[in-house]
Amino acid sequence: MAKNFFALFKSGLVSLLALAVLLPQAQAQQPIRLGGIFIMSGAASVYGKFAQQGIQLAVDEINAAGGVLGRKLEFRIEDSQGKADVAIQAARKLVFQDRVDALLGLDSSGVATGLVPVMPELRRPLIITHAATPDATGKLCNRYTFRISVNVNQNMMAAAHVAADSGAKRWTTIGPDYAFGHQSWEYFSKYLKELKPDVELMKETAFPRFGNEDFTPFINSVMAAEPDGVLISVWGGDLVNFVRQARNLGFFDRDMQVLMTVGAATEVLSALGEDMPEGVWLGTRYWFDAHDNPVNQAFVKAYMERYKTPPSYNAEGAYAAVYAYKAAMEKAGSADPEKVTEALSDLGFQAPNGEISFRAGDHQAVVGPTWGRAAAMNSDYGIRMLDPVRSFKGEDVTPSVEETGCRL
Amino acid sequence: MPSIIAALLNSLDIAMLLFVIAVGLNIIFGVLNIINFAHGGLYMLGAYFTYTLVGRLGLPFWPALLLAPLAVAAIAAVLERLVLYRVYGRHVTDSLLLTFALLLIIDEGVRMIWGSGIHVVRPPELLQGRVNFAGVSYPLYSAFVITSGVVLLAALWALFNRTRIGRVVRAAAIDRDMAQTIGINVPAVVTGVFAFGAWIAAIGGVVAAPMRAIDPGMGDKIIIESFIVVVIGGLGSFPGALLGALVLGLIHGFGGRYLPQINLVLPYIGMALVLLWRPHGLLGRRAAA
Amino acid sequence: MNRNASAPSASVAAGAAARPSGWRLAVPLSLVLLLAVLAALPSFAPYFYIFVVTEILIMGLFAASFNLIFGYTGMLSFGHAAFFGMGAYTTAMLLLHVELPLVWALLASMATAALLALVIGFLSVRLSEVYFAMLTLAFGMMVYAVAHQWRSLTNGSDGITGFLLRDFGLGLDLQLADPAVYYRVVLAVVAIAAAVLYLITRSSFGLMLRAISENPERVAFCGIDVRRHRLAAFVIAGLFAGLAGALFAPFNRVASPDMLHWSQSAEPVLMTILGGAGYFLGPFFGAAMFVLLETWITSYTEHWMLFLGIALALLVMFFRRGVLGTLLDRMLRR
Repeated sequence: MAKNFFALFKSGLVSLLALAVLLPQAQAQQPIRLGGIFIMSGAASVYGKFAQQGIQLAVDEINAAGGVLGRKLEFRIEDSQGKADVAIQAARKLVFQDRVDALLGLDSSGVATGLVPVMPELRRPLIITHAATPDATGKLCNRYTFRISVNVNQNMMAAAHVAADSGAKRWTTIGPDYAFGHQSWEYFSKYLKELKPDVELMKETAFPRFGNEDFTPFINSVMAAEPDGVLISVWGGDLVNFVRQARNLGFFDRDMQVLMTVGAATEVLSALGEDMPEGVWLGTRYWFDAHDNPVNQAFVKAYMERYKTPPSYNAEGAYAAVYAYKAAMEKAGSADPEKVTEALSDLGFQAPNGEISFRAGDHQAVVGPTWGRAAAMNSDYGIRMLDPVRSFKGEDVTPSVEETGCRL
Repeated sequence: MPSIIAALLNSLDIAMLLFVIAVGLNIIFGVLNIINFAHGGLYMLGAYFTYTLVGRLGLPFWPALLLAPLAVAAIAAVLERLVLYRVYGRHVTDSLLLTFALLLIIDEGVRMIWGSGIHVVRPPELLQGRVNFAGVSYPLYSAFVITSGVVLLAALWALFNRTRIGRVVRAAAIDRDMAQTIGINVPAVVTGVFAFGAWIAAIGGVVAAPMRAIDPGMGDKIIIESFIVVVIGGLGSFPGALLGALVLGLIHGFGGRYLPQINLVLPYIGMALVLLWRPHGLLGRRAAA
Repeated sequence: MNRNASAPSASVAAGAAARPSGWRLAVPLSLVLLLAVLAALPSFAPYFYIFVVTEILIMGLFAASFNLIFGYTGMLSFGHAAFFGMGAYTTAMLLLHVELPLVWALLASMATAALLALVIGFLSVRLSEVYFAMLTLAFGMMVYAVAHQWRSLTNGSDGITGFLLRDFGLGLDLQLADPAVYYRVVLAVVAIAAAVLYLITRSSFGLMLRAISENPERVAFCGIDVRRHRLAAFVIAGLFAGLAGALFAPFNRVASPDMLHWSQSAEPVLMTILGGAGYFLGPFFGAAMFVLLETWITSYTEHWMLFLGIALALLVMFFRRGVLGTLLDRMLRR
């Protein structure tokens, strides 16, 4: 009886020891999972697709070099459809069912204002790679939310500089009727007035619905008001539609300065081709041709070889976010979400658009956009190139933490 | 004055496009007594086939205008033979639900075949550029849209009122059993009418393709618009489709230009007002229950 | 128009006569068992399923409220989401601006949704069939467009976000931010609401509705005010849809205009057809099928809408009484 018991005890001990040895190893073989939430359907689905390509490239590169902390990286992408409630459900699925360790994404400011307040419940870090509403690192900021891409504050400060230098006096806007459109105009107006107090910010503005198909009435009403300068924050498939319809109505033949805040997205440039008019000012969070550092050169080369097209800013943002997670996990020595979140704050690393660090005060990366005039077509790439190019330094365009209203 | 002309011209090209879709809906309702939710999907298929023919295979626009609607009509005929005939004689909500199911299938099918993104088709060389009209610079292609709408209107009127086929179809619409009795092959007429309605919807899709973005949501958007047109003008009424399309076109053109704060609400207010005041539509006749 | 195919009256009555007395006990017993299992769900199911079942319960209530006017009264409304969304927005705005305990927000949402249903219903129930469907569609989309454009009130297409869940009220100390706790609250509320709704369908009022759906002319000849009954059914349905919406907004942390769109109105229609309009639990069953299928199919392919469309087409063509309806019919005939 005692002999049996002792044998049982011995085998039990051995198995426990074996488990203790094997389990961490099994853990070590467990891949690190990243979850991405992007717009994969509808008028802006190309953005999600390009982001996916950026993530795939980064993950493959990292895995080929041994992974992160000896573990392979995996990722899964969910479609937000541009809707906040869909994105929240997708985030819950990624965190609780697919057990991802970290999140990245968000192609829409509307989605961001919905998802960002929920992050403390999900207890995973989120790196925003596209959505630009200042609120995400402003009044809605929390310890789990970071942003690696240029936000509305930064882009509109740069736009205000371009506008001030252009000499135009009467400004109006055509923007999508949601947070991004309204906030772009709000911040642009504020910064432009600071630079040039004598400009007139017209009452006649146009905010067509996001996903609107027929811009003709809005184009007509803005043309009738006869501005000198127009700020256009329409984006995605809407911008493609808008440009084609505006061309037909003679919008670009007028003597006006036209600034498209995110016009140099390769998603838009390749859809329009020659239809993008020359001479308009196009902004972008990242321009593949504007950064002369080894990381960018390697990135652009690898991306073009694989996908046969220059990387868009959405692809670069997603790519950089994956590398940011790698750096944070290595700094923390673990993929544990809480430790990674700690490590991300005040992390500095090399991204294609330069040396990036997340500001401790609001978790916003101090980066600047690139603006350029639409110039000649490049037949290899199938898009218009930018010439001249103005790249803005992060420090010059980022407002202070107090101004953003973030209290971390 | 020029801005009013601009809004008016904009209204007209929207109206013509809506008319093309709504008239097919009305023809199908008149003969089959079915409200075809899938009509938006057929329009969308017309646009997507145009993209494949012109954008991918490099055909010029004019052959595509001929081929794409025929392909859609063929698909519609198959759908009618296999699926739709089962709900004839049943409650009208059954046909609403079944055609809604078909719309879901077409929507997803389009996503599977052509992807979820948007596609772009350029107008034919002949129709690029602008024309000056009453002090307003107007895109030539929009003028083409208005003209084709008018041509279609005239052709349909002639077809239904002056030809033998037209009389046969009208007979089948008025009294199906009687038509069968005097030797008209009613099932064939029914299939033919459904395919014909689809053909017209697809023409709308082909014509719309260079004007608007081609995306998987375009079917859903247009079906709601065409319901509004048909409700305002009157279910089953041919001139009603024209009147409804003009009213909705004007609401879009002028509402978007002068009342942007409420331009999304206006069409539904119009729809509701007509339903409350004259449920059969401004020019409609009673729908069979 | 005779809607015998899906009205609950005929087959239930026949079934009741044919059923042995064992059945009488089986139904309430299995319901109690089901509730017990559901209440215990967070203890044994994977965490993610708490969210899934919460959604099923809420959508089930939404679909059941729709079925009151569709299955029981014979009217097809394509604008039911207006009341769902109204409930969602009411709760979201109250929680955001006033920080009420949830129970008062739920009651307020039921009131606003019922009021909206009174207005829309009053204008709509005088119309028949197709025109009723069209008018409810128009009103639903009108509310959607207003929510979209009245940015200063509703925050436009971004919707209302960032509201917090504090306590439930009624002296109950509940950690509503915990999904498992919120799930049990939803279960309790939906169970009570479903019980009330069921009692309504079993009452003489409910019987009258079924008679109206089968033959409105004959009922009118008896001197009954058909229109008033229809309006009452419409308002009650709107009230419960508002309650569902009020539970949904805190669940998703968002109240957005999409909750008012006609595609949201189509969901209870689909769920009811899936489950079967002929039995009270049909819509709940349909909601469960809809959400579970969506969750499972979307892990393999994003083209779940295709399967939904095919399923709906097959059901309309061959299984007019829905999946639960067909199953129960078969069982009861034995």
